[in-house]
Amino acid sequence: MAGTGAGGNDVQWCFSQVKGAIDDDVAEADIISTVEFNHSGELLATGDKGGRVVIFQQETENKCQPLSRSEYNVYSTFQSHEPEFDYLKSLEIEEKINKIRWLPQKNAAQFLLSTNDKTIKLWKISERDKRPEGYNLKEEDGRYRDSTTITTLRVPVFRPMDLMVEASPRRIFANAHTYHINSISVNSDNETYLSADDLRINLWHLEITDRSFNIVDIKPANMEDLTEVITAAEFHPHQCNTFVYSSSKGTIRLCDMRASALCDRHSKLFEEPEDPSNRSFFSEIISSISDVKFSHSGRYMMTRDYLSVKIWDLNMENRPVETYQVHEYLRSKLCSLYENDCIFDKFECCWNGNDSVVMTGSYNNFFRMLDRSQRRDVTLEASRESSKPRQVLKPRRVCAGGKRKKDEISVDSLDFNKKILHTAWHPQENIIAVATTNNLYIFQEKVN
Amino acid sequence: MEYKVEAHRIMSISLGKIYNSRVQRGGIKLHKNLLVSLVLRSARQVYLSDYYGGVCFSAQQVESKEWELMDAEQNKLRPAAEEGPAPQKDAGLGDATPVADEPTSQPQADGESPAGAQQPPAEADAETGGTSPAGPAEDQTGGGGRALPDEAGTPGAHSCPTRKRGAEKSHHACSPQKRTKVTPTPDSSGAAEEPEEMETGNVSNLITIFGSSFSGLLSKDDTPPASEGEDGDSGSGQICCDQMLKNLNPWTTAIVAF
Repeated sequence: MAGTGAGGNDVQWCFSQVKGAIDDDVAEADIISTVEFNHSGELLATGDKGGRVVIFQQETENKCQPLSRSEYNVYSTFQSHEPEFDYLKSLEIEEKINKIRWLPQKNAAQFLLSTNDKTIKLWKISERDKRPEGYNLKEEDGRYRDSTTITTLRVPVFRPMDLMVEASPRRIFANAHTYHINSISVNSDNETYLSADDLRINLWHLEITDRSFNIVDIKPANMEDLTEVITAAEFHPHQCNTFVYSSSKGTIRLCDMRASALCDRHSKLFEEPEDPSNRSFFSEIISSISDVKFSHSGRYMMTRDYLSVKIWDLNMENRPVETYQVHEYLRSKLCSLYENDCIFDKFECCWNGNDSVVMTGSYNNFFRMLDRSQRRDVTLEASRESSKPRQVLKPRRVCAGGKRKKDEISVDSLDFNKKILHTAWHPQENIIAVATTNNLYIFQEKVN
Repeated sequence: MEYKVEAHRIMSISLGKIYNSRVQRGGIKLHKNLLVSLVLRSARQVYLSDYYGGVCFSAQQVESKEWELMDAEQNKLRPAAEEGPAPQKDAGLGDATPVADEPTSQPQADGESPAGAQQPPAEADAETGGTSPAGPAEDQTGGGGRALPDEAGTPGAHSCPTRKRGAEKSHHACSPQKRTKVTPTPDSSGAAEEPEEMETGNVSNLITIFGSSFSGLLSKDDTPPASEGEDGDSGSGQICCDQMLKNLNPWTTAIVAF
C-alpha cells in the first residue's frame, strides 16, 4: 500500500527505529522541539532546544532483503542557532529551534529554513564525494611545497572520497521580530516565505535579508488593550497569495495578499461559537489554537487546540466540518493542568499523504490517529517497551472514570511529563516520526 | 463559598506564574502571560462578584451605617472646634488648625488621617519612590500627638499597613475599608470581613507591584491587562515585592510563597 498514503485503522503500525539517548535523565538541550520531513520524504529533520539540527536520510531499500523496510540514518548534524543576548532589553534569546521548513529541491543541494525566537536562517546541505588531488604548489595536507623542488607540471584531478555532508548558512534573516517567532512557512512560489511572531507577520524574499514586508500587524495602539495574539501561520499549498493565521482566541483568519499590502483585514474568519455549558476559568486557554495546517489538497485546514482537533472546509467559516476529541478526559483536570503548566503545552498536528488521516500527540507518550474517512480513531504509545523491531503497536485506552478495565490506564496514572508535541508524516508513505521528550520514534506500516 | 476559595487559589497561582515568568530564560512570553492574565481576571471577577453577591451582605449594612454616622459627625463638626463628645475619629483630628480643616474636605481624607498616623512609618518603607503622600503625613504631625494613643486600640489597624501604598487605583479599592475600620462600631461581622477585604486589597497591591500594565485588572471596565512584554520594571518590582512581603499577614501565605 506504499504510495497511496492511506492509513488509519486498516493499517497496523509497527516500530521501526528510535533515535536519541536511552537514559531517563534528559539533558535540556536534547529536548526535541520540531520535526519535519522534506518534500520527498527522503530526509527527516529535527531541531532541539540546544539549537542543533539533526537530519536523517532514508536508506534506499536493500535489494538483498526486499522485505526489510528502509531505515533513517544520521545524514548531517549542525549547530543552527546559538544563545544570544539582547543588550538593549537585557534579555537572553534562546537558541531553541522553534520550526524547520524544507524548501522544494531545485538542484543537488537541499535547503531548509530554521528559526529560533528571533532569527531565521537558510541552510544549504550539500554532499561532497570528490576532491581535487595533485596540486602542483601544495601538498595533499595543504602545506606549500618548496618551489625549488617543483620540476614538473601536472593537472589536478578529482578523485572519489568518503561522502561528506556539509551544512552552511546561506542567509540570515534577523532583526525583524520584536516578539517571539512561532511559525515560518514557505510560499508555493518558492521565492518568498512568511515568519510570524505573537503580533506580526512578515513576508520575506529568500534572496533578500536586509528587509522584509510586514503583512499583518495586530498590535494595539495601547498594549493594555491586548486581547489576542497570533499563534501559528501558514501559506496555502497552491495559492501563493493566500495564507492563514490562528489566534489565541480560537479564530483563524484567511488573508489574500492581493487585496491590500497590509492584510489586517481578513478575507475569511473561521470561528466556532463557544459551547456555554463548557465554560470555566480556563475556557480561554483551551480554545487557544496551537497549530494550523493546510491539507495537501488545499481544500481543508486543520487546527489543534488543547483538547481537540478540528477540520475546517475553507468554504465554510461558521463551524468546522469535523471535530475530534483528543483527550476529553482531561477536561475535568484543567485546574491541575493549569497549576503544573501543562495547559500551555502546544501540540502540533499533521496530515497523511492523501489527507485521509490526521495525527496529533497527547500525554503519557500517547499519540492519536484520527481516520477521517472511516470516522475511527486509535491511541498508540511511543515507548521503549514496545520497541522491538517490527513489533506491532497495540491500541491504548484511557479510562476516564469508574471501573478500570484490563489494559486500560486511568487518567490519574498518566505521566504528564511525557508529552508528544511534535509529529510528522511522510508525504507519500505510511511512515511517521513521533518525538517524545528527547527521543525520536519512527513507525512504519506493517508489511506482510 | 467554595467558588471564592477556588477563585482565590487560582488568583494566587496566576500571580505566581506571572512573577516566575520574569526570571524565565528567553524573556517574557507574551502569549502565556496573556492567557494567565485572562485567567486571573476571570478568577477575580468570580471572587469579587461572590463577595458582593451576598456572602458579605452584612458588611454592606455595616458600611452604610458607618456612612450615616460619619455624615452625622461631619455635620456636627462643621461649626468647627467640636471635640469632646465626638467619637474617636474626631479626637484624632485634633484641634490644630490644619487638621480641623479636614472635616470640610473629602470624607476620604477623614478616613485617612487617623489611619495615617500608623501608616507613615510603614509607608516610608513601602514606597519605593520614597515620597509618601504629603497630605496624610502632614496631618499626622498636626494631630499626631493625640491621634496615636487613640489609635493604639483600633483593631486591625496594624494589619494593613500597605493600604496606602501604590497608585490611586489600589487606593481607591482600599478606601472603603478604611472607613469601616475607623468608626467605633466594630461588629463581629465587620471584624470578620476585614481579612476578606484584606485579600482584595493585598491582591490589588501585588498586582501594582508587578507593574502598572495591570491597571486593567483594577479599573471598572475591566479591560484585559497587558503582559509585561515590553515593560522592564523588574528592578523596582523586586524592591516593592520584598518590602511588601515583609508586611503581609500570614493569611496570604500562598501569595508570599511565590
